Amino acid sequence: MVAYALRRLLGAIPVILVSTFVMYALVSSINDPIAELRQSCPQCDSSAYDRLNDLYNLDQPIPQRYLSWLGGAVTGDLGVSTSMGEQEVAPIFWDRAKNSALLSIPAALIVIVFSAVLSIYSALRQYSLGDYAVTGFTYLGLAMPTFFFGLLLQVFWGIWFQNWTGLKPFWTGGLHTESIGDLLSSVALPITTLVIISLAADTRFGRAAMLETRNADFIRTARAKGVPERTIVLKHLLRAALIPMVTVWAITFGTLLGGTLVTETVFSWPGLGRLLIFNGVFDGDVNIMMAVILFIGVITVLFNLLADLLYGWLDPRVRYG
Amino acid sequence: MNKSTLARLLAMVMAMALVAAACGADDVIDDVADTVGDVAADGVDAVGDAAGDVADAAEDLVTDNDDEMSDDEMSDDEMSDDEMSDEEMSDDEMSDEDEMVDEEVAAGASGGTLIWAHEQEPPDMHLDDPNNNLSVTSWIRSALIEGLYGVDGSTSYYPELIDGEADVVSNDDGTVTFNYTLRDGLMWSDGTPVTAADVEYTMDINLEGCDFEAEESGCVYLRGDRTGYDLVTEYGATSDTEFSMTLTNFFAGWKGLLNEVYAAHAYGADATEVNANLPEWANADGVLPSSGPMVFDTWDRGVSMSMVRNDNYAGSVSPDAANNGVAYVDGVQINFVTDTDAQINALKAGEAHIVMTQPQLAFGERLSTDENFTVASSAGPVFEHWGLNLLNDHLADPLVREALAYGIDKTEVMAGLYTPLFGDNLPAEGLGGTYWMSNQPAYIDAQKVYEGKQSDAAKANLEAAGYSDSGDGIMEHPDRGRLTLRVGTTGGNALRELQQQIIQSQLAESGIEIIIDNVPGGAYFAERPFADEALAASASGGAEGDPTIWDITQFAWVGGPWPGGQSASYLGGNGNNPYGFNNADFDARAPECDATVDDAVRADCYNELNRYVTTLEIDSETGLFMIPLTQKPSYYGYLSSVLSGAGVAPDAQGAGPLANVVDFAFK
Repeated sequence: MVAYALRRLLGAIPVILVSTFVMYALVSSINDPIAELRQSCPQCDSSAYDRLNDLYNLDQPIPQRYLSWLGGAVTGDLGVSTSMGEQEVAPIFWDRAKNSALLSIPAALIVIVFSAVLSIYSALRQYSLGDYAVTGFTYLGLAMPTFFFGLLLQVFWGIWFQNWTGLKPFWTGGLHTESIGDLLSSVALPITTLVIISLAADTRFGRAAMLETRNADFIRTARAKGVPERTIVLKHLLRAALIPMVTVWAITFGTLLGGTLVTETVFSWPGLGRLLIFNGVFDGDVNIMMAVILFIGVITVLFNLLADLLYGWLDPRVRYG
Repeated sequence: MNKSTLARLLAMVMAMALVAAACGADDVIDDVADTVGDVAADGVDAVGDAAGDVADAAEDLVTDNDDEMSDDEMSDDEMSDDEMSDEEMSDDEMSDEDEMVDEEVAAGASGGTLIWAHEQEPPDMHLDDPNNNLSVTSWIRSALIEGLYGVDGSTSYYPELIDGEADVVSNDDGTVTFNYTLRDGLMWSDGTPVTAADVEYTMDINLEGCDFEAEESGCVYLRGDRTGYDLVTEYGATSDTEFSMTLTNFFAGWKGLLNEVYAAHAYGADATEVNANLPEWANADGVLPSSGPMVFDTWDRGVSMSMVRNDNYAGSVSPDAANNGVAYVDGVQINFVTDTDAQINALKAGEAHIVMTQPQLAFGERLSTDENFTVASSAGPVFEHWGLNLLNDHLADPLVREALAYGIDKTEVMAGLYTPLFGDNLPAEGLGGTYWMSNQPAYIDAQKVYEGKQSDAAKANLEAAGYSDSGDGIMEHPDRGRLTLRVGTTGGNALRELQQQIIQSQLAESGIEIIIDNVPGGAYFAERPFADEALAASASGGAEGDPTIWDITQFAWVGGPWPGGQSASYLGGNGNNPYGFNNADFDARAPECDATVDDAVRADCYNELNRYVTTLEIDSETGLFMIPLTQKPSYYGYLSSVLSGAGVAPDAQGAGPLANVVDFAFK
């Protein structure tokens, strides 16, 4: 299995190289700091342009700039940020990644646990009132745009609830770390938003997987042999149904870790999603963009690998060649 | 239909009903928030007081309902008394009200932290960083550091650190000397006196490493905008409070030089060190000391920045400031809230007190009608304009350019853009100049003759130029073809795109077809008017480069107390002039204007320059290649249930909500 994992990791390197080069070429070609300076400061003299050229190697062709960036990236030097006062990107990136993880890891864990529980319940109680409730909830979660649900939570807890009760249990935005209570109060609404949106899709998928497995021959055989229902569910049904769900969870986890733009924007959360879009895309900060894109690429590869490894644990028939 | 299908359908209907209910809830939210009274004053800290607030709110609600009832039952006379505006009130009544406000402000001088929600975060605090031209940085710095001159709400200079106007001496050799005397009692926030040595040090830093002949970088002015500083020949402190500076010749923007004075003992030993300290506003010992009303405190990137009151502040002498002492509030916290609705929610939840942002419909819809908020606006310094490519076959003809001016109704454009936000009380009209803004004393609307939509005049112009109707209402020329012009800007700005659409519709009535040709993201300028090929064409009159890359460009510029910098975009020899305008008289006149000592004469001179570019009066062949359109209104919202309005004033100079930070006070 170790050899398999290593082979997969080695195979991922060209994928990451090609994807980062394509992204680098695209983002570099659409950003032209020199032209922006010409527009915003027509009275600036040539030294201002020289300064920009020196800072960002603008006089070099894009492939050469990419190689410079790549050389730095593999040694942990992600360059300097053009949108954040020429600060090193690496510490900014890790700081934001930590903030994203404050939301994404709890959210992903909650999603995994609850989607498993709701999927099992819904599949085992198919067409019951509870199943309809879960189905209704999943439709609602799937239909509700993230930004709208986030804003609704803000309005409910920040304005309505406060007006009704005089209490304001949650911050409607920002990361507040003055105390544990403040931290919990500031993560509650964004995590809820992430959970509801992701849980709906994963539960729907999980329910379908459970239903399909529930009707499989080996489950019927086990039941015919008199295996207790609890054992059938926990040992046979769940294990088999988890295989497709692991893939979905891996994607969910990776997506959440890579930053969730909308949720972070609505809740003014200083995470990777906001860093990528506002500093990277809007401010044309190539190094910021590349750092986050590289991270998302690596995370996606790692979680897919993790999912593949989990298949082998869940299904003994799977062998790593 | 079997039972399971029916059940699934029912579940779907339930889900859709919930979504619909949620979507409709927004209005209900507003209704509830509007009717319930005061929101907690100071973020989550106010939770403890909130129960009392709710009780008060219930009382307010009852009172409001009573008022509404009695209004309905009142006679017309009684109604008119009630509706009497402030302007109709007698002076006595007004002064009584003023006293009450003053008392309120005095009572609120106990402190509190003012929270400002803003969508942009400074990249750093180094305003002269080539990547940092964000207004928010200068807004924040305006609360931290002062200069020899400041800019007031009418976009005029006032002596800030100096004791009255500087003494200007024209020397026999043509040089001009400016003598400044600092105000008494000025002090840095760390207790060190502000002296003329600080002014001299600031000039040292500004000029250090700048070899203007060799065009080497190394100055603090990294952006390379050295206008004015390159004229300095001599400077120095002549006493603790006196400083003098000599320029090779008079420079109209001299009051803008040294608009910030650095502390010699703290900002850095040399320019390199200052460059290193400014971005984080800190040196090795801690934060940089302030001469303004606030002191920098902390910056949690992506979240917030905070400042605390400068208790050594000597007081504001701005004509706009009501408070001439230290700030009433204990400090200011800027929360970086990127989403518009989230900003509004933060205000309504009491997590922010003020907002100053791009005019957006959501603010009008959700805040303007809320009694807990006061919304203020004024014509801001940012103005939109159309720049025409004189190398375009159609636009090279002055009759066509004039037809464009005739066909555009700027008042209608303003109304179309901002009526939903400001109602009938639009804070600005269409703009008629690119030098002075409409709220500056020297402003003259050079395009007054084109006021309103004059489609007939536009068509007459086009016919005189040889155009005729192509059959679908759009004019065409036998040689130049159909009168189709592309207008481009940075895509994604909804207001700007709406403006384009309104003008597109207006010009269609004049037989001019406008095609909107925006480019998303930051690529527009590089691909269109400021592309190398386009600039080469402009510089060579079309002999080199590609003059067909763009036809009309639309973007915004910022006006200011010294508009002379605007000329750089129009000078024939300037590589950053994309319009193809090359007029030797203008090139000669522009520096003459800048060298005119008398303020009134100089103001007229800039109006003359404006006529070169916005009319055909002086240059009948290549004039009128600029069509200024609208000044973007500044927009403020503040939680009037907890804040006195003293700190919030219409802000023509765009100095931001902290320009009068000394005046903010909690009720």
